[in-house]
Amino acid sequence: MNLSDMIALAFDNLRRTRLRTVLTTLGVVIGIGALTSMVSFGTGIQKNITEAFRESDLFTTMIITSQEISLGDMGDPDDVTTAQNGTAEASNKPAPPLTDSTLQVINGFPGVAIAYPEISFPVRVRLGSEATRTTLRALPAAMRAFKPYSKLAFGEFYDDDTSRSAVVSWDALKRLKLLVRDPKSPVSLDEGDSSGVRPVDADSVLGLPIEVISVTFDGSQLGGGSMFGLPALARMPVGESQTTFTIGGIMKGASSFSDMNMAGGIIVPIGAAEAIPRLGFSSVWDLLGGGGGQDTYSSIHVRTESVADMEAARAEIEKMGLHVFAFSDQLKEIRKGFLVMDSILGAIGTIALVVAALGIANTMVMSILERTREIGIMKAIGASETEIKLIFFVEAAAIGVIGAIFGLLLGWGVTRIANFVANARILPAGEPALNLFYFPFWLIAGAVGFSVVISLLAGLYPAIRAASIDPIEALRHD
Amino acid sequence: MNIVSVSHLSKTYRKGRVDIPALRDVSLDVATGDFVSLVGRSGSGKSTLLNLIGGLDTATSGRIFFKGQDLTTMKRSELARHRRQSVGMVFQSFNLIVHRSALDNVMLALVFGGAPRGVRREKAIRLLASVGLGHRLNHKPGELSGGEAQRVAIARALANNPQALLLDEPTGNLDTTTSLEIMNLIRKLNKERGITVLMVTHEQDMAATFSTKIVRLSDGRVVGRAAPGVAL
Repeated sequence: MNLSDMIALAFDNLRRTRLRTVLTTLGVVIGIGALTSMVSFGTGIQKNITEAFRESDLFTTMIITSQEISLGDMGDPDDVTTAQNGTAEASNKPAPPLTDSTLQVINGFPGVAIAYPEISFPVRVRLGSEATRTTLRALPAAMRAFKPYSKLAFGEFYDDDTSRSAVVSWDALKRLKLLVRDPKSPVSLDEGDSSGVRPVDADSVLGLPIEVISVTFDGSQLGGGSMFGLPALARMPVGESQTTFTIGGIMKGASSFSDMNMAGGIIVPIGAAEAIPRLGFSSVWDLLGGGGGQDTYSSIHVRTESVADMEAARAEIEKMGLHVFAFSDQLKEIRKGFLVMDSILGAIGTIALVVAALGIANTMVMSILERTREIGIMKAIGASETEIKLIFFVEAAAIGVIGAIFGLLLGWGVTRIANFVANARILPAGEPALNLFYFPFWLIAGAVGFSVVISLLAGLYPAIRAASIDPIEALRHD
Repeated sequence: MNIVSVSHLSKTYRKGRVDIPALRDVSLDVATGDFVSLVGRSGSGKSTLLNLIGGLDTATSGRIFFKGQDLTTMKRSELARHRRQSVGMVFQSFNLIVHRSALDNVMLALVFGGAPRGVRREKAIRLLASVGLGHRLNHKPGELSGGEAQRVAIARALANNPQALLLDEPTGNLDTTTSLEIMNLIRKLNKERGITVLMVTHEQDMAATFSTKIVRLSDGRVVGRAAPGVAL
């Protein structure tokens, strides 16, 4: 008796007890459906985050500071002070200040593709009659070769460090009441969003002038008096300064993990940014009479040529006594968290499958009781114990395989619906559609394999029991 | 040449804490081509002896040789091979698989016998035709008369070309006319194909008419053997 005979026999028996087979298989379908949808959710989240990291080149990105920083500080670069007096913990050497000369040294390290200073400050932007607060970020034109700036949603990244061209985020434009239509991910306006926001084509936005209004230090307000003569001050010694840029590109924050989101709504060339008068750290320094020194930066961003270059470049930088923050380190931590999440999700799904397995065992035992005489007949006409065992095994495995196939379909269907609902109801309108669930090949193959193994385990006892039936007793059985 | 040789065979069943002897020191030889009837009252041990020779049961002591091979030393897998290759068994209650057609019942024996897929169907049809059931191939046991069902069982027993047919009250559930038809079929197989027949029956007449040798059992012992026509 070969395998194809056994499969034919197994399916023949399953067909005969159709209702019971369907109900038992349904248990497996639900088990596998639950397991795969749970695991695919965990995998999907992980994939989205990893891809968001990769999409914005975060795996090759390092942030250099004089002091150690953690991810929690990233949102607020102002917290990272230039600790000229601070000592780097990793090295006994005092950390050098982050100046242009430090920048030059870092730029010369092998593997470093580009190093640029972190320059960002709060501004107001005005487009026509609408204005909003956002953060301005200065980036060198050379960043146009790097993700995510190499491919903007619309328009182009500027190619001149002194040009007056700006890249504006899609979100900032929305706050300026312009909803830029994206043919790739059409969004509909919700009730809440429709207050004055009007949908526009990107082409009509590109080339528009946008005013950047920055807060400046206005010494004239101090008059001739001492800076501590506060009562003499009619108001704070600040003024406003306007600089006009042209919208050259529109960027869509791919996800909350992108570099872009951390830095706000408008990106301008580094040379042009330096010309914007502002109330920055150095102006306060000037105010306190400590000016005259070289400008220092809160941090320096480094992109390496490849992920492989990260280690060497990092070592060189750390040798200088500087602190390196790499997103890839964070990813390792995040991955550990994912492992825990995946395990919990997997465990819940597995429980469902184990319950299904008990259903299989129950069905098989019932089947043996019903088929005792048939087993006796098969033995009398020459079936060996191994063959009897295998017939029941193949039946259990068939339930497992069929259950897995339909379970995968169920899991896939459920996740499609959940994904649709999540995208339509939970994600804010305008965000690019996210695929929250991911069915990699290993999950599909693993689910089928796991289902078959569980089914075989469930069929183990019934199969052994069937094989050990005494044929003489069985033939007397009604 | 003896096809079956049984020596000092005993079989004891255990029921709870009580040992019930079914066979006590039975010795018996069956020559190739013989038609042997095992007769005796109910509980005399004749069916037990047949099951032991058929490899369905194992002896408590003694030896059973089938074509020189000792069944009592065989592993269970070897006994299964003995059942599918050397002997064909037919029972009083037919023991056909009720949800399978006549053809499928015969084909199942061929499946276990390892017949190639391509020849099974053709061979099963031929076997059924040879027992006069060429027109009832796709009928299930419930749709067949007792005589027809027993013919299917005989066709199935012949599927893997056994050297011996072991029949346990093959006509016990049949009327007289049908019984005679079945017995004539069995005699034909014995005579024309030279298949050795061991038949358990309590019908003296049947044994006397068809067999070449009669063995009488009582309380698990052989109490007489004779050629037909000689009173035991």
